[in-house]
Amino acid sequence: MKLLTHNLLSSHVRGVGPRGFPLRLQATEVRINPVEFNPDFVARMIPKVEWAGLLEAADTLHLVEVPKEPIEGYEHDEKFLRKMHHVLLEVDVLEGTLQCPESGRLFPISRGIPNMLLSDEETET
Amino acid sequence: MDHEAAQLEKQHVHDVYEGTAPYFNDLQSKAWPRVRQFLQEQKPGSLIADIGCGTGKYLKVNSQVYTLGCDYCRPLVEIARSRGCEVMVCDNLHLPFRDQGFDAIISIGVIHHFSTKQRRIRAIKEMARVLVPGGQLMIYVWAMEQKNRHFEKQDVLVPWNRALCSQLFSDSSQPRRKQQCGHPERSHPYHPPCSVCSCSVCFKEQGHSKRSHSMDYEPMMARACCANISEEGEEENGFYNTFGKSFRSWFFSRSLDESTLRKQVERVRPLKTTEAWANSTISIQPSRHSSLDLDRQEPLSTREQTSDEDVFVETSQKQLEWLRAPATKKHLRGGQQREVRRNGDGNFLESTNTNANRVNAGDVEEGDPSSKILRRISAVDSTDSNPDATMSVEEQQPDVLDSRALMRYYHVFREGELYGLLKENVSELHVLSSGNDHGNWCIIAEKKDNCD
Repeated sequence: MKLLTHNLLSSHVRGVGPRGFPLRLQATEVRINPVEFNPDFVARMIPKVEWAGLLEAADTLHLVEVPKEPIEGYEHDEKFLRKMHHVLLEVDVLEGTLQCPESGRLFPISRGIPNMLLSDEETET
Repeated sequence: MDHEAAQLEKQHVHDVYEGTAPYFNDLQSKAWPRVRQFLQEQKPGSLIADIGCGTGKYLKVNSQVYTLGCDYCRPLVEIARSRGCEVMVCDNLHLPFRDQGFDAIISIGVIHHFSTKQRRIRAIKEMARVLVPGGQLMIYVWAMEQKNRHFEKQDVLVPWNRALCSQLFSDSSQPRRKQQCGHPERSHPYHPPCSVCSCSVCFKEQGHSKRSHSMDYEPMMARACCANISEEGEEENGFYNTFGKSFRSWFFSRSLDESTLRKQVERVRPLKTTEAWANSTISIQPSRHSSLDLDRQEPLSTREQTSDEDVFVETSQKQLEWLRAPATKKHLRGGQQREVRRNGDGNFLESTNTNANRVNAGDVEEGDPSSKILRRISAVDSTDSNPDATMSVEEQQPDVLDSRALMRYYHVFREGELYGLLKENVSELHVLSSGNDHGNWCIIAEKKDNCD
């Protein structure tokens, strides 16, 4: 699971709503996957990222320090873009958990695949 | 009601996909061109979700976008993952995404697996929720109106296993060198029929995992399926001849499994009132005999979205002449169609018994069932001079059960139904275009601004 994916995930436990984001990440196995750097691609992703969620995840994984927010003129700042490229696309969480910040419910990540299925009781409306 | 719906989907969608997922490992399935086009038209840097991605055939169509695949079926997701895709396991009805995260979403061959109208609406609304305003959603569902087949009802159980072995009929005059094969034992030309699909070559085991949605990988999968009929040049004809014999008995055993299945159902019938029978609105789609397809030699990619029952996907007419039954399915069904009691607005589950797993033969509604069964057997017999082979299969109870177990549930859509569903129930979406693509109703809709 890449951190860009993590940034899109939210807990859907009943009643949690928007407080289900971001999921608290805990990783027991992480792999770095080289991905071809495409500055244009990264630059377009930046505005779509929920920055606070990304900061939290990157911090948990003790990754290279991510700036508190996208820097001015980031579109042309290659150093910044490469850093974000690495954080968003090259870090792969293979084993770990994602925890709903509101309910505490844990979702496992196994072999790089998050399992976000809930039981019937947890989703009943 | 929702619980029954979930149970039906578990048995006739999730369990089937999960049980058959292991067999699709190596098989490359084709992407529908219109879907590919939709994906390629997305702006570079878009975030895209494929809800019901299956083995991930759409996930790498466009390298300029970030595509996340999700599916209910873990084994299929694992396969996609092994191909380097970013994927997860989740439920279309409860998408684990924050609101307005995606620029585009595709849902190809998924919504038709939901067994109630409410669930189908919910699935669409969930996808709308996670779309950015202005973002587009593409939905493909199987159409009730098909050129090559006839769906008796909108809620159907479709046998899984027929098309898995369509490759067995590949023309030996078209040598195929390396054929992709999902199973390890390619060196053996012959295997005893296995319980999953009675295919004499492939699928030795019957794995059981659980869950899935993507359906349109089957046709391609079928084509790439096991049989290395023309493996080595000089072996070709000899292999095929040996194979042909065993295949023939396989084929007829499958047909009779179906009539045996009907007999099973028929035995149950006296216990029910006629009315109860009439109220049963799920029909089993009979396996479509190849004879309906023999005249069509379309390459797979342009073929309509054939069901997994189309055994003969790419075949040579000459070789298959012996399979033509004088009485085709259509002929047997003839006459009056029972009125479809439920259209897309209703929920068939309301009228059936709580045992939603009850299986009902589609064409026993007309005339005397027993005579119909006899007719079918005799049709088969006329092309196979070995009646003994046909008889012995009836004792194979396990096959009947397996055949029932691997039925997949579909709610096939009438023309305009999907459009109507969105228009009346999902006000946050605005339909941009709709049409028919290879036997599917497809729609592209846009998330309206200012409505979340």
